[in-house]
Amino acid sequence: MKPEEKPKVAFFDFAGCEGDQLQIANLEEKILDLLNIVEVVSFREVMTEHSDDYDVAFIEGSITDTHNEERLKEIRENADVLVAIGACATIGGINSIRNVQDFEKVQDRVYGDERDHYEAWEKAKPAKAVVDVDYEVHGCPIDRDEFLHVVQSLVMGREPHIPDHPVCVECKLNENVCAFERDEFCVGPVTRAGCDSCCVNEGTICWGCRGMIDNPNEDAHEEVLEEYGLTAEEVMNKFDLYFAWQKEVRKDE
Amino acid sequence: MNKEKSPYLPENATILNVEKMAEREKLFEIELDSGEPLNHEPGQFVEVSVPGVGEAPISISSSPTKEGNSFELCIRKVGNVTNVIHTLEEGDQIGIRGPYGEGFPVEELKGHDVIFIAGGLGIAPLRSLINYTLDRREEFEDIKILYGCRKPCELLYEDEVEEWRGMDNIDYRETVDECPDDVCWEGNVGVITTLIPGIDIDLENSYTVVCGPPIMYRFVLQELKQKEVPDERIYLSLERRMKCGVGKCGHCQINGKDGEFYVCQDGPVFNYDIVNDFEEAL
Amino acid sequence: MKVIKKEDLKGFIDGLIEKGEREVVGVKSKDSKYVFDTLEDAEELELDYDVTILPPKKYFMPQRETLVEYKTKKGIDMEAVNEVIPRIIIGVHPYDLEAIKQMDKVFADSPEDYNYSEKRSKSILIGVNMQKTSEWSFAGSMGNATIDDGYDLMLTDLGDKYAVEIGSSKGRELLDEGSLKIRDAEPEEIEEVENIEEDIKNKFEKELDFSPEKLPWLLAQKYGDEDFWEENAEDCYSCGTCNIVCPTCYCFDVQDFNDISLEEGERMRQWDGCMLEAFAEVAGGENFREERAERYRHRYMRKGRYLYNRFGDIACVGCGRCSSQCVPDIADPTDIFNKLWRDKDE
Ligand SMILES: Cc1cc2nc3c(=O)[nH]c(=O)nc-3n(C[C@H](O)[C@H](O)[C@H](O)COP(=O)(O)OP(=O)(O)OC[C@H]3O[C@@H](n4cnc5c(N)ncnc54)[C@H](O)[C@@H]3O)c2cc1C
Ligand code: SF4
Ligand code: SF4
Ligand code: SF4
Ligand code: SF4
Ligand code: SF4
Ligand code: FES
Repeated sequence: MKPEEKPKVAFFDFAGCEGDQLQIANLEEKILDLLNIVEVVSFREVMTEHSDDYDVAFIEGSITDTHNEERLKEIRENADVLVAIGACATIGGINSIRNVQDFEKVQDRVYGDERDHYEAWEKAKPAKAVVDVDYEVHGCPIDRDEFLHVVQSLVMGREPHIPDHPVCVECKLNENVCAFERDEFCVGPVTRAGCDSCCVNEGTICWGCRGMIDNPNEDAHEEVLEEYGLTAEEVMNKFDLYFAWQKEVRKDE
Repeated sequence: MNKEKSPYLPENATILNVEKMAEREKLFEIELDSGEPLNHEPGQFVEVSVPGVGEAPISISSSPTKEGNSFELCIRKVGNVTNVIHTLEEGDQIGIRGPYGEGFPVEELKGHDVIFIAGGLGIAPLRSLINYTLDRREEFEDIKILYGCRKPCELLYEDEVEEWRGMDNIDYRETVDECPDDVCWEGNVGVITTLIPGIDIDLENSYTVVCGPPIMYRFVLQELKQKEVPDERIYLSLERRMKCGVGKCGHCQINGKDGEFYVCQDGPVFNYDIVNDFEEAL
Repeated sequence: MKVIKKEDLKGFIDGLIEKGEREVVGVKSKDSKYVFDTLEDAEELELDYDVTILPPKKYFMPQRETLVEYKTKKGIDMEAVNEVIPRIIIGVHPYDLEAIKQMDKVFADSPEDYNYSEKRSKSILIGVNMQKTSEWSFAGSMGNATIDDGYDLMLTDLGDKYAVEIGSSKGRELLDEGSLKIRDAEPEEIEEVENIEEDIKNKFEKELDFSPEKLPWLLAQKYGDEDFWEENAEDCYSCGTCNIVCPTCYCFDVQDFNDISLEEGERMRQWDGCMLEAFAEVAGGENFREERAERYRHRYMRKGRYLYNRFGDIACVGCGRCSSQCVPDIADPTDIFNKLWRDKDE
């Protein structure tokens, strides 16, 4: 099953916190296994060298201006395989909250006096809004095991198993007491599983960092949240934390 | 655990020969490493296993009357498991579980006319029965084979089809949905249903056996109804998502008003009279 | 019937834990709810619980389990795996015992699933009659408020003591194992147990308006009423919760998980559910139950008809787990089943 030659991989960051690259740098003993199947040629988090000769590009962070856009397109040209890692790159991430906020205010807050130097877009976009993306590793931050699974899959040229069902599935498998039975509210019912419901396992709720599943029943969930006593605005906030970009795309469809 | 006992443990098998048949289909000749014959019936399937990737249910395409202990699978590459199988070569190992399911009712068909209607990859399971009837030609009455695919280049089992064309003890007819101008094709052009009006069906004495993609069933069955072929004289082979192949995982279950089936155990071959009312079957 | 003092039972359980021959599992609290979990001390046991989040099926068919281990370095090498831990499971309610009886039939049906049946046969089930009922349960209507078999031992709370009914030789042997202070029940105690069992039947807030044997027939009638299923499934998230928490759901998915070396790995099965969107989808994208309503209907067909046709059991035991844990509150079988009864054609 193991291919003859190790693919060369490079990591690139855009607007994000680099938390995902940190997750990878912290793979600890597994990093050696990883290096058994790929060759890392560029990774700012752990090395200073850089090379433009790579087969696989990992993209972290969302795309927020034309400069980003051009750089990403160039990377796409160079790479055989492009992988978006982390919520910012897969669904716009936390950055996309601004998509639903007042643009002027966002610019003031983010860039302050320097705002005129940046041609920042009104909306933060995930990688797939700009180029074709071959694989995605969801989450904020990503899950290390899932990252390894995706790398294995791309090395073997197969589709990884990324669930397209809600977090509730894993949450029930873990026998958690549901947030809704603790007078808390959660967007797990519309969020893509794959994190083993880690936040709920720790006693909190799902905020939706892995993005919505392909066919979420948002309407039902918004109604349910209102029935549980949340105001329309509170419901919006729950959905906008991570889903702003996805919701817009779904609306346009 | 006594490992002989687990129904989920595949047996090792080796690929003896690979033949590319069309753009997406290859024919694999396989033998169990135990040297034992598979002991299958026409219409049954096996779970083919590529450790590290997964399993896929595949119909056994050769007849049990074939010489030797090997069997054949015709596999279309469409996803994870099938893509990897297509990279395998002579001498490579794979895992096999099975044979599973209910095949064609060979004994019931004996002494009758048999009409085969195959669309696309549907020829793969039917071929196990076609070759059975041809190998024991004297046990069956008239044999008709209607075979349709989208384009001439998608025709499978070309060498055998060439033989069928020339055989005078069967009635072989073929059609393609469309034929590019630069391809030489002497057969019919049109969907498979266009072949049906032209054949004589002895309603008292014949069985019709159909296999093809889901959409084909609806039209073929309509056409057979027009010809007044009784439902209980029609057999179909269905395809559903499968995981276990042995009636446990639940994936292949279909419901209808009057009952329900596990395609992996109760099928894949069904009598049309039984699944007729099953909204989810067709 | 035997009788044992509560403190003696505790001592007996602590003795079993200490012996360590088998894992001792029982009902414990988890936040405001209950779960079956490993006991470290008999003190943790909560036998007056209402219902657990997951049913005890997880001990015979774990959420995730390895079926086959493989190596692919030189050719292929595959081996069947079955991790069996002998267990004593304490505190199983009658409806869950009924569900286990049904699952035993499913997995024993040819070809036998040894990953299930070996775990099952190496376990000892100690049941307990319900003292509290979940507000969602309708086990009474399903005939599962009490049960006559399916347990090795069955406890009934009699204040400072438990009545112990012996259900099997395994149960009897277990009692013989420890130096247990146990005596035969007095006639009054036997009568008390009978009265308790009679009372439980009327303790359920939810009810079916008809006898459950009519379900296969009612479901057949309603099968084709698409509007009905669509209306009821409109708010469904396709989250599978109602499958996963159900003691008679047993569907699974199988996937290969490779070691990072890519030269060995495990083929694992994990719980799956027919409410999930991809359950009946095949390569190429065809989905044989694409609509939420189709999947929603499928689940009710399974509960009320399929296992009945195959094995003679109504597969809903009335535990109320699905309805209590469905966030949009649309998974209550009494709601749907009573609607079927209301809408029936004579
Ligand atoms: C009874 C039966 C006989 C079949 N005979 C043949 C045959 O002779 N030749 C052939 O090329 N194909 C046949 N198929 C279809 C074949 O099983 C699928 O194309 C194959 O499972 C796809 O697997 P994959 O991993 O390549 O695709 P993926 O899309 O990666 O599928 C992932 C998994 O989904 C399930 N799955 C997906 N599609 C199907 C499907 N159509 N049927 C059942 N399970 C599916 C399998 O468990 C598979 O491993 C048959 C299917 C059935 C049910
Ligand atoms: S806590 Fe959230 S994710 Fe878990 S079951 Fe409840 S709604 Fe679903
Ligand atoms: S539980 Fe929700 S918020 Fe937490 S990691 Fe999973 S998807 Fe993200
Ligand atoms: S009925 Fe409820 S629990 Fe079941 S899948 Fe739908 S939303 Fe989830
Ligand atoms: S369907 Fe619901 S009430 Fe019935 S057994 Fe399953 S979880 Fe319990
Ligand atoms: S088909 Fe659905 S209802 Fe039936 S056992 Fe499987 S998951 Fe449960
Ligand atoms: S394939 Fe598992 S039940 Fe049919």
